[in-house]
Amino acid sequence: MDFLPLWAPSALLLSAALGFCIPGRRPRTLLKSAEVAALAAIAFASLSATWLGFHAPSTSPLLGFGSFGISVRLDAVSAVMLLLVTFVGWVVLRYSATYLDGEGRQGAFVGWLCLTLASVMLLILAGNLVQLVASWIATSLSLNRLLLFYPDRMAAQRAARKKFVPARTADTALSGAAILLALHYHTTDIATILSAARAGDGGALPVSAAALLAVAAMLKSAQFPTHGWLTEVMETPTPVSALLHAGVINAGGFLLIRFADVILLAPTLLAILVMVGGFTAVFGSLVMLTQPAVKTSLAWSTVAQMGFMMLECGLGLFPLALLHIVAHSLYKAHSFLASGGAVERVATQRRPGPVAIPKAGAVGRAFLAALALYALVGLAFGFEHKSPQAIALGAILIFGVAYLLAQGLADAAPRALTRKTALYAIATSVSYFALQAGAVWLTSSVLPAAPTPGPLEWALIILAVISFGFVAVVQAMFPLWAYHPAAAGLRVHLSNGFYANAVFDRLLRGWALQRPSRALRRSQS
Amino acid sequence: MMNHPEFPLIDTESLKHAANQAALAIPPAWPLASSVAVNPFLGQSGEGLAEVGARLARVAGVAVTMPRAWYQERIASGAISDADLADALINAPGDRRPAHLAALKAMALTLSPTPKALPTIADLAAQASGIDWRALIAERLGSWAAGYFDVGQALWAAPRGAGAYGAWRAVATHDLTPEIVGLRGFATHVSKAPDNACGAMARAVQRLRLSAGALETYFHQLLLNLGGWAQYARYLSWRAELGGASDETITELLAVRLIWEEALFERYVEQIADPWTAVLAEHAAPLAPTADQIVDTILQEASERAAQRSLALFLSAAAPAVSEGRPPLQVAFCIDVRSEVFRRALEGVNPGIQTLGFAGFFGLTASHRRFASDVHELRLPVLLNPAVTTCAGGTHDLPADQAMRFKARARRAWVRFKLAAVSSFAFVEATGPIYIGKLLTDSLGLHRASPPNDPAPSFDPALDIATRVQAAETILRAMSLTANFARLVLIAGHGANVVNNPHASALHCGACGGYSGEVNARLLASLLNDTAVRADLKSRGIAIPADSLFVGALHDTTTDAVTLYSDDHPSPTHDEDLKTATTRLAAAGQATRGERALRLPGADTERGIARRSRDWAEVRPEWALAGCQAFIAAPRTRTAGRSLAGRAFLHDYDWRQDSRFGVLELIMTAPVVVASWISLQYYGSTVAPDVFGAGNKLLHNVVGGIGVLEGNGGILRAGLPWQSIHDGERYVHEPLRLTVCIEAPREAMTGILTRHEGVRALFDHRWLHLFALDDDGRMKWRYAGDLQWTPMNDSTRPEYPLRIAV
Repeated sequence: MDFLPLWAPSALLLSAALGFCIPGRRPRTLLKSAEVAALAAIAFASLSATWLGFHAPSTSPLLGFGSFGISVRLDAVSAVMLLLVTFVGWVVLRYSATYLDGEGRQGAFVGWLCLTLASVMLLILAGNLVQLVASWIATSLSLNRLLLFYPDRMAAQRAARKKFVPARTADTALSGAAILLALHYHTTDIATILSAARAGDGGALPVSAAALLAVAAMLKSAQFPTHGWLTEVMETPTPVSALLHAGVINAGGFLLIRFADVILLAPTLLAILVMVGGFTAVFGSLVMLTQPAVKTSLAWSTVAQMGFMMLECGLGLFPLALLHIVAHSLYKAHSFLASGGAVERVATQRRPGPVAIPKAGAVGRAFLAALALYALVGLAFGFEHKSPQAIALGAILIFGVAYLLAQGLADAAPRALTRKTALYAIATSVSYFALQAGAVWLTSSVLPAAPTPGPLEWALIILAVISFGFVAVVQAMFPLWAYHPAAAGLRVHLSNGFYANAVFDRLLRGWALQRPSRALRRSQS
Repeated sequence: MMNHPEFPLIDTESLKHAANQAALAIPPAWPLASSVAVNPFLGQSGEGLAEVGARLARVAGVAVTMPRAWYQERIASGAISDADLADALINAPGDRRPAHLAALKAMALTLSPTPKALPTIADLAAQASGIDWRALIAERLGSWAAGYFDVGQALWAAPRGAGAYGAWRAVATHDLTPEIVGLRGFATHVSKAPDNACGAMARAVQRLRLSAGALETYFHQLLLNLGGWAQYARYLSWRAELGGASDETITELLAVRLIWEEALFERYVEQIADPWTAVLAEHAAPLAPTADQIVDTILQEASERAAQRSLALFLSAAAPAVSEGRPPLQVAFCIDVRSEVFRRALEGVNPGIQTLGFAGFFGLTASHRRFASDVHELRLPVLLNPAVTTCAGGTHDLPADQAMRFKARARRAWVRFKLAAVSSFAFVEATGPIYIGKLLTDSLGLHRASPPNDPAPSFDPALDIATRVQAAETILRAMSLTANFARLVLIAGHGANVVNNPHASALHCGACGGYSGEVNARLLASLLNDTAVRADLKSRGIAIPADSLFVGALHDTTTDAVTLYSDDHPSPTHDEDLKTATTRLAAAGQATRGERALRLPGADTERGIARRSRDWAEVRPEWALAGCQAFIAAPRTRTAGRSLAGRAFLHDYDWRQDSRFGVLELIMTAPVVVASWISLQYYGSTVAPDVFGAGNKLLHNVVGGIGVLEGNGGILRAGLPWQSIHDGERYVHEPLRLTVCIEAPREAMTGILTRHEGVRALFDHRWLHLFALDDDGRMKWRYAGDLQWTPMNDSTRPEYPLRIAV
């Protein structure tokens, strides 16, 4: 039973091999067998999760030589992530089978898709450092082939070049972290390392390793200012975007969650994660407001959501970060795949007439109501068990709910609308408290609790609450100021993502005239 | 270098004129929410294909015909015969055509040289600097235009107050990107530009040393480089002009593009001044098609003549016997080629059933408000202005209308919550898991889109009786339906039923402005059921029996299901008729799906079709009008009982009932023109997909709620997506200019062409082919241009010396 989860990536590896054998147009056998493999992977993931329900988390023996080989770590984190990735993998494969019908290289596409999925699964299941690093790199390389599915598209090459630098840096950082951990703990077994770290076995090497892990995670999760590539990879068929935004991008967050015990050895690192993540979250979500193209807007949303997930990691709320990864992946996979409906959605929004804009009074009332709601629901779920970090995070989220209430409390809003938005607000609050309680319960034996905050942590918590609260207020009163001429310049700079991308392009000669690229030559060989 | 006295100043009027001419050369692109097929050569209909070939080669570097290999394949297979080639050759204008058939066939075996556009300053600057300025301009302009034209995607919309030029300047003076890439001082350059578009153009024209002669094709090229953005701006002016106003957006876009050229010219003047002078000389040179372009045009003409040959054969076959007596059911469809298949199937179910073809807005040009909506939708051909305003439901539906609005507004508040800055995090953490269900239902195609089912539409304000009677009479006479009414008469509009498809409206009814046609159909049914109207119609010679019931319907072209809106006019005595009709329509739907499944890749069987319509990943839910090649206005008996394979627009027309040829004039000036737009849109998207097609559906990124980008950003892509004309292995649309066959006296048609110059230009320059059918429905006369007709199968045709030379 130790190797049960391993059947999931194996099934997809087989399909990948088949895909490379029949790389061409309308590969019917391949499409059928790839979907069967994806369904089988879901079944293996479900079986593994069920098995875990009755057994303690464990790591399988290592298949291989010495420290090099494959071993399976099965715990709540890997089980949840495996279920997520197999499910999203099935959705994406099924979608691609129809969507790419008639493409000359559909077989190869499915092959690379399966290989990417298998790599992600091997990463999630990694019980040892070597496997972790190898599958991390394999994920990145096979994804790159998908991003360059149309190798002669200039913009695809530009994005790939931009992704290349952070991706290779992340690979290097992760390899460095792995070496440092292995040197210090004299093992490559991840579970052993984690329990040693949790017992307090730290020092310069593990702290440096933690820093490298954080660097790798931030680069992988497109944190500011290395986010540029993520917002420019719409040059490849939509299912790749879905897979990227719902699967691969999570590798960074997964890394931090997997090594939570090691990360906690370095409190300063946590502070950096809070700052970088918090800034990226606010920045990304503001840029998103200005984006008129649906996929681009979704990509900026991912930047923001990954920032928020980093913030949660920085606050030591690893179970919530895991919840965020799962919830965001499901939402984003659907949003990308359904992005063709944007024309209809915009038209629908326009039909019921003008939007009721809340004024300052309504916004004030909405925030008070939201805080009252927080107190009420919070008491029902029990505040006393929660860490200050969790309470602060709840407050940040409730600021969001206030926006919902504010729309219903606007002077021009009819009663019926007020009632409906209030209902939505209550349902939302209850739902996320319940989901958070569930996430904490599910991972209680695997993930460490948030550390008791010291002065630095308190300062950061307060800073985070204030800045998110500020943005929330600003956003609730949005139409009252956003069209003021003074905001016009800000809008231009924001919509360009503060030019981080343009600078990267300049450094990497992104706008150089097209010449036969490496990617093109590779694909021809 | 700022002033060049040796270049004569171009006065403001000529400059404005040149800019307007360039704007007229660009075809309009409707927003995707109500997209309409547009003739991409709209601005060039006064020229022939070869001349347009020369023009577009210069400004866009594209050909307007297929590659030689495509024709060669058809010549080799015999699809294009020697006679077709010879006919096309001898009828080709000009003296530069190949001398004889053998020379033409030899040319067909060679490759046509790939046309190369003249470089713009951006292209020259790119060569000089190694920086891809053309791509950067497309990206920057696209980034601004996407925000400027956005109708509701971004929560924080771009400011629009100052007009396009002012809005762009406000953005470009803040945007640091061009300077980061390497165009130093661009923001300053923009801030110092004249503060109106006209002034900016004048300054740029002077600094770029443009001569009056160079303006035409250079301006055309700059606007064409902006792709769909210029086309959308052209749509704005089209709409404004139809309403008697004007809109300058497109010339302001031209000014913006000129400012870029000016800035790049000044930046790289030393390297590019000389080549630029040479380019300007070429712009100023008159346009003339090359020998290759002439040959391509002749080959294209030959392929059309080949198709006309088979159509003539089709029409010469004996017509089936007409069943006398009262038909058990009459169904009027839109002329759309998709209805040909369904009509044939329905007549096959019971030969007594009479079907009719008429433009799908059924003569009622409605500005319509849907249920619980403030938006006025123009459900009429885009060539016309609305004559009536209508809305779904009456006063007794108001409470339901209100309730639905509240629901929609609450849902909108939820969407804003989902997208806004801080709340998006709360949204994800609270509701992410719900998407498991959504992913499952969408992946398995469990979500079924129901056909539109608003309350019955009504005129708002109501029409007085005289207007209603007049409308009813005009429409019935135009349909050639004035006697022998069945007990049940269905008026069937059509619409597609697809999910997750940005081009969904392109599958709807073109005659209804890109909306589905059920509203107009239901309106007409209610008009004709009106007892007061019927009483007056009787006095005008149209007697509708009291037991005749009109019912609006919607033909779903994706699944071939037909929805009957029989609740609009409850009539218990017609229960049996409705039941029978439903059964027959279902049988016809099944037969139609069976025929369509053969063409749709992966549909396998008739049953696969419904599944495809619900599949969110399906990029080819139906073929829409792909394959269209003929328009036939004649009584149905001329075409009944034989298959036109969904390639012909069928308009019912009986000239003997059309005493003063008023209906003929209507047909030739409205449905024929709409059909030409459709046919030429397919033509343009097939022969020049890079310029007139929407690109690859797999990369589409919906922008601003109005159109699609291909990939990250850049220019808007109008036209048909590649997947709509190609099944992965072959074209599903054969690019042929439409063959129009009308059964009517030649003199009547000549008279109409004389009165309508625009229509005449389409035929004279062969954007359409016109044939007169004789009294047996045979293709008897071919319109040869210049108001002349030549007989078909002409025995006096010179036996070509050309042919002897083979």
